[in-house]
Order: sequence, then structure tokens, then C-alpha cells
Amino acid sequence: MTTYAKPVRAMGGFFAMSLDTFVMMFKPPFAWKEYILQSWFVARVSVLPALMLTMPYSVLLVFTFNILLTEFGASDFSGTGAAIGTVNQIGPIVTVLVVSGAGATAMCADLGARTIRDEIDALRVMGINPIQTLVVPRVLAATTVALALSATVIIVGLTGAFFFCVFVQHVAAGAFVAGLTTLTGTADVIVSLVKATLFGMAAGLIACYKGISVGGGPAGVGNAVNETVVFTFMVLFAINVIVTAVGIQFTVQ
Amino acid sequence: MSEAVPSRLHPRIRSARDRVVGEWLRVGTQMQFYTKTLASIPDALMHYRKEVLRLIATMGLGTGALAVVGGTVAIVGFLTVTTGALVAVQGYNQLASVGVEALTGFASAFFNVRLIVPGTTSVALSATIGAGATAQLGAMRINEEIDALEVIGIRSITYLASTRVIAGVVVVIPLYCIAIIMAFLAARLGTTAIYGQGSGVYDHYFNTFLNPTDLIWSFVQVVAMTLVIMLVHTFYGFTASGGPAGVGEAVGRAVRTSMVIAAVEIALISLAVYGQSGHFNLAG
Repeated sequence: MTTYAKPVRAMGGFFAMSLDTFVMMFKPPFAWKEYILQSWFVARVSVLPALMLTMPYSVLLVFTFNILLTEFGASDFSGTGAAIGTVNQIGPIVTVLVVSGAGATAMCADLGARTIRDEIDALRVMGINPIQTLVVPRVLAATTVALALSATVIIVGLTGAFFFCVFVQHVAAGAFVAGLTTLTGTADVIVSLVKATLFGMAAGLIACYKGISVGGGPAGVGNAVNETVVFTFMVLFAINVIVTAVGIQFTVQ
Repeated sequence: MSEAVPSRLHPRIRSARDRVVGEWLRVGTQMQFYTKTLASIPDALMHYRKEVLRLIATMGLGTGALAVVGGTVAIVGFLTVTTGALVAVQGYNQLASVGVEALTGFASAFFNVRLIVPGTTSVALSATIGAGATAQLGAMRINEEIDALEVIGIRSITYLASTRVIAGVVVVIPLYCIAIIMAFLAARLGTTAIYGQGSGVYDHYFNTFLNPTDLIWSFVQVVAMTLVIMLVHTFYGFTASGGPAGVGEAVGRAVRTSMVIAAVEIALISLAVYGQSGHFNLAG
């Protein structure tokens, strides 16, 4: 009985905290300072890994795609493939892999360490709502940074693909650039940014929930961070399929 | 009774130099740890066989809350199902927009094997068995259990790191079989059942273009990746410091590093294997 009740209770706790967070988001006072500090922190730890992760993936993508296109004799369209893959999938996914792998883990570790030292309870005793002062700014910071980072990641991914195609695989530079917008338009970019925003928010919520519900000393914090990574990846892949399936109705004619 | 220490010459240049040297030393320490771990693998197989078997069992199933959602197997399976479904969603619609949706089966056979499943598996592995190893070892380090092991005469790197590397590589082989089958099934189900393509059309193009050699190479890729992921994760766990928060930070840093290294590794192995010719023939 208890083995089945535990995950259900955790699920309920997560939704309760998410609801609290959304309500508190619009209730003054808003913790501006914490929000800016957290945004800066998440951006600082995420930018470099994000750029380093997007390069190999976009190179791998255009390399695999160009094998195909060369066989058809249509390597001029390699820009089209690069745009579809980078804007629709690699951009948002890489962004959130890094935001959850770098930012969310650090948030969870920080909140978890405060929880096991009873600092969160101390805040409650002093009449300060930890959701309002700690969780809301963190969730919003993860959301903002994911949105901003995904644009950067897409640009860097396309640039990397451009250099690989033009200088390594000898595709004409003009043909590559002209092909970028053949199948990928504004709607794709909007869907991609929406995805990144949703991912960032989900990662922030999961990290904060896992952080404030830690128990059991240092091993507990380590496990909570591990679970944060696993659950954010699972949730983001699930969100990705759903948003892609819905978004593709608007983007592909 | 403190003495006044005269300040040294060129403090800024000195600190900049120390930083560069520190980074360089860190790379060296990591290399040393990896070499020692790899060199101790035969020793671990000979002397700590029981621990290896125990780790294989726990890695397959996961611990704590992860075991509740079905363990590593279920998580990897779930992630590859979603990316397989993505091939159906994105591939079918994108191909339909240029009028060749019949080739979705081909897209599944080609992109799943070469790109999507190795990539997804690398991410899933570093999140599950990798991060799990960092969390465990980090907690042991913080609780001074690793020092205790050394004191009672157990070779800690062999006992903790080498055994985990072996277990990871053993576990990944059945895991990757499940991953790739799940991706194929999800792509087929999505295309035939949801978008309503004839299953004969799908199967024809899928079977025509599924190349067994590519599959074997993707296996090699994944095993090489697991080796690196486990090495990176055990290192960060082994050297964790700074209390409970330090363990969490070590997990985050390990995930970040191993994802980047695994991505670079997949790209380089792909370039090396498929090279200029591409191992691909449209005529079948």
C-alpha cells in the first residue's frame, strides 16, 4: 500500500506546489533581486555547455542529412535540412537539456541543502512564504533563461552547420543560406520558442519541488538531484512530442 | 604574534598564472584518475566480482524513487519511445509537405540508427546510471566512507570506480537493444496507426533501408559513450566536496560535462565511420 501511495503523494505535492507558484507569481511583493540573481546564475552556468553541446549535434545532423542529399544529388538543399532539424528539435532540446542539467540541478542542490538544514522551515516560522521568495523567482529565472538561450543555441547551431557544410563538405554558401527558409518559417520559430519556454518552466518547477521535499542527509540531496535530472528529461521529451504534434498542424501546409 | 608578510611582486599576473596552471593540473588529475580506473578493471573483475554483479543488478533497476517508475530500463525505454514518435510526427509531416510521406519508414531506419537513438541514449544514460553513480559516490565521499575504505585496505578506485565502469558497459548492451526496438516500434506505430499510412508501405521502405552494419556501428558508439560517461561521473562523485550541496553540485557538473563529451564523441565516431562515402546506397 505505502509503495503505491508514495509516488501518488509526490505527484499531488508537485501539483500543489506548482499551483501555489502560479498563484504567488501575481501576488506582490515580487522578489526582484532573487529573480535577477537566479537568472544571472542560470545563464552563467548554462551558456558555455549549451553552445558546446549544440555544435556536435548540429554537425552530426547536417553530416547525416548530407549523406542522403548527396545520394539524391541535391546537396544544395542541405540548408533546408539544417534549418528543420536545428530550429524544430535540436535548439529547444539542447537548451533545456542544459538548463535542466546545469541550472536545475544547482537549484535543487541549493534548495535541498537549505531544506535538510531546516532553513525553509525557519523561513516559514518567520512568516516568510518560501514559495514566494525562493520558488517563484527560480521558476521564472529558468523560464526566461531557457527562452533567451534557445534563440542563441539555434543561431550557433545554424552557424556551426554552415561552416561544416561550406568548408568541410563543399556545399555552395549561397545555396545553403537560400535553403534555410525553404521549409522553415516564422511559425516554426514561434513553436520552437514556445517549446523552450514550457521546458524551462517545467524544469524549474521540478527542481524546486525536489529541492524543498528532500529528506535524509547528503545522500538525500544527491538522490534528489539525480531524480530532478531524470524527471525533467522525461517530462521534456513528453512535452516535446505533444507540442511538436500540435505545432506541426500550423507550420506544415 | 602575526608577522607582516610583504606583498609579492605582480599579484595580478601571478593569480592569472595560478588560474591557468590550476586548470591544467585539474585536467591532469582527471586523466590520472581515468587511467587508474581503466587500468584497475582486470583487478576489479578478479577480486571484486560480487560487487560488480551487485552493481549490474542495481543499475538495471535503479534505486529509490527511480525504481518506482520502473528503473533505468523503463526510463530509457520511455525516452526513446518519445523520440521514435517524434520521427513519425516530424518526419511524416515534413515529408508529406514535399509529397514523399511514403519514405517515413526510410527516415526511421536511417535517422533513428545514426542520429536519434545514440543521442537520446547518451542523455538518458548520463541522467540515470551516471548521475546515480555520482550521487552515491559523492555521498560516500562526504560521509568519509571512501577514506574508511582506504583505511581498511580496500583499493577504493578499483572497488568503487572500476566496478561501476564495468557494470555500466555491461548494462548498456541489453539497454540499447530495448532503446532501439522501442524507437522503431514507436515510429512505426505513429506512422501507421496515427497518421494512417499503409503498414506495407512503411515496412517496405523500412526493411529496404535498414542496414545491419549501421546498427552494429551504433552499438559500438553507445558502448564507447558509456565508458566515457561512467568515467566522468565516477570522477565527479569521487572528488565531491562541500557538504550536502556539494554532492548536488557535483551531480550537475558531471551531467553537464558528460553530455558535452558524449555528443562530441558521437559526432567524431560518426565522421570516422561513415566518412566521405556515407555507407549509404539509395539503390538498396
